[in-house]
Amino acid sequence: MVTPVIRTVDLRSDTVTKPTESMRSAMANAEVDDDVLGSDPTAVLLEREVAEIAGKEAAMFVPSGTMGNLISVLVHCDERGSEVILGDDSHIHIYENGGVSSLGGVHPRTVKNEEDGTMEISSIEAAMRSPKGDLHYPVTKLICLENTQANCGGKCLPIEYIDKVGELAKKHGLKLHIDGARIFNASVALGVPVKRIVQAADSVSICLSKGIGAPVGSVIVGSKSFITKARWLRKTLGGGMRQIGVLCAAALVALRDNVAKLDDDHKKAKILAEGLNRIERLRVNVAAVETNIIYVDLPKDPKFGAEDACKSLEVLGVLVIPQTTFRIRIVLHHQISDSDLEYALSCFEKLFSSVPEEKV
Amino acid sequence: MVVRSVDLRSDTVTRPTDAMREAMASAEVDDDILGYDPTARHLEEEMAKMMGKEAALFVPSGTMANLICVMVHCEVRGSEVILGDNSHIHVYENGGISTIGGVHPKTIKNEEDGTMDLEAIEAAIRDPKGSTFYPSTRLICLENTHANSGGRCLSAEYTDSVGEIAKRHGLKLHIDGARLFNASIALGVPVNRLVEAADSVSVCLSKGLGAPVGTVIVGSSGFIEKAKRLRKTLGGGMRQIGVLCAAALVALQENLPKLQFDHKKAKLLAEGLNQMKGIRINVAAVETNMIFMDMEDGSRLTAEKLRKCLTECGILVLPGNSPRIRMVVHHQITTSDVHYTLSCLQQAVQMIQEPSLN
Repeated sequence: MVTPVIRTVDLRSDTVTKPTESMRSAMANAEVDDDVLGSDPTAVLLEREVAEIAGKEAAMFVPSGTMGNLISVLVHCDERGSEVILGDDSHIHIYENGGVSSLGGVHPRTVKNEEDGTMEISSIEAAMRSPKGDLHYPVTKLICLENTQANCGGKCLPIEYIDKVGELAKKHGLKLHIDGARIFNASVALGVPVKRIVQAADSVSICLSKGIGAPVGSVIVGSKSFITKARWLRKTLGGGMRQIGVLCAAALVALRDNVAKLDDDHKKAKILAEGLNRIERLRVNVAAVETNIIYVDLPKDPKFGAEDACKSLEVLGVLVIPQTTFRIRIVLHHQISDSDLEYALSCFEKLFSSVPEEKV
Repeated sequence: MVVRSVDLRSDTVTRPTDAMREAMASAEVDDDILGYDPTARHLEEEMAKMMGKEAALFVPSGTMANLICVMVHCEVRGSEVILGDNSHIHVYENGGISTIGGVHPKTIKNEEDGTMDLEAIEAAIRDPKGSTFYPSTRLICLENTHANSGGRCLSAEYTDSVGEIAKRHGLKLHIDGARLFNASIALGVPVNRLVEAADSVSVCLSKGLGAPVGTVIVGSSGFIEKAKRLRKTLGGGMRQIGVLCAAALVALQENLPKLQFDHKKAKLLAEGLNQMKGIRINVAAVETNMIFMDMEDGSRLTAEKLRKCLTECGILVLPGNSPRIRMVVHHQITTSDVHYTLSCLQQAVQMIQEPSLN
């Protein structure tokens, strides 16, 4: 019997956010031009604004965070035989199809991500390599951090930590890139401006299509010369689009209207986390919920793992993602209302309050 | 003082129309990565049907489309692709198929009409079994219309012949159909017939059709599945793309029928220019919306001087050192713009050639 779905609460990711009315209006009225033959005026406005927010010289709009990171790594590592140090649980390493290697010829050297999203400073330093040291070695050119760190649960990297990694990079002549897909979440959670957070970084990639809700895109920021090279590589990868003012107009609205709202997402995440943790059979590390991502641990019942749970929740209209065999990931965003929250919680209660034999 | 602006740099400069803007604002959207965007799906289904192929995929640009197609067809290390020495993929795509894709190009001379000699194509096919020095040819690429030849159309018969060669040697055929609709209209041949022999085609939405962004790749279901993964890897996986696809659907509806007028305007412009002393245009070769203008030796006219005059009149063409000037007509160029361009050039030509009269 199929239960009729009363409503849909999409907690799969903050990428599901749909454009708001004011975004749609902005897109319809956007001033545009050919951004490849010249420059699109709305794109220029957006790029200037994001560069300023990040405290960097220049910025460039790209179709996705994946391309933002790919370009950044490839530009910093434009010499054959390069190596990049990054977290073993980082988005670039796990969820970007290994593109830095398959497309860019860059070799990854992973360092263990701690629970808080950081990598041990001494481990980073120990991972650095150069052929001068040993003929077997590639040459490390870059360190990548991720803030907030998604797989660790949307954790904010401490500013002092980022600065220390920056110093380490400088000491060894390396560059520092921050995958700041959810940097605004970090900024709001810590109460620190983005530009202070990324001060030590040579480049940052910032998503527009996640929590702040624009339909498409990311922005890379860095020095003028870095962005010049990045622009050429964007073209090569096929990311050079024409009248992108349409998309950039929506992003400008997102920056204006939705950054402050991220605080509500964090509050909702906390409320939901607490509610889920109160369900006896579930476990949530509530203290670890710093931003908009929650990990829910299920009882290790091989007959009803995360995938099964997600399917059952889907029938009830609640969309979430199985992270591991017994772990579910939930992501809050501004299009989840308080009532959606209550509904989602009630569905989890329905599913997990009963004893196994009574499950539907 | 610039009185008006006539942008003849490319058909990519077309701006979204009111109908497109409205469609973009009200587009039904969803996350095209976690699931699928409904408007994108609609566009992709429509394009696949039009092209007579199983499936389609929206991508941010023609460059990415060609890059994906070459890389998917040539996914085995040590591959080689045969393509024109004056093709867009070879000349204007940053060598990406090699630098990003690791594929080796083997160029064949493009004839004046945009084709490559069939015998030359066959002779260029290589196989390590033939010689241990060789890479393995996997793909042939054609371009229709062929831009650098002046927007020339490849016939269905020629395309079929190349397709036969490809099949005989176990190769694939990809068509860079950025301006395929122009070819279809000019030849009076339906697009699906034109690309029947091809395994994949890339078709631009942001050129003559006038959508703000994007290109669509078409091919078999299996091919498109691989293309989708590579699109993600390259960073072309976007979220609520229905916004852009909605504009593209309007473009197909409203602007496809208008391409024939672009061709008529281009012909009008070409004929007018060719009548000017010192300017030479192969009018018969103006088959679609592109014109290449040459200056006769001994005429005192140079591309540099004419570019300067055009700029002063508010007429935009691509800058550069080429001795030829390229002009591309699109639906946002009016007949009045064409006459304005002709009169500006007429004045410029007279002034340069007979300075004593001024």
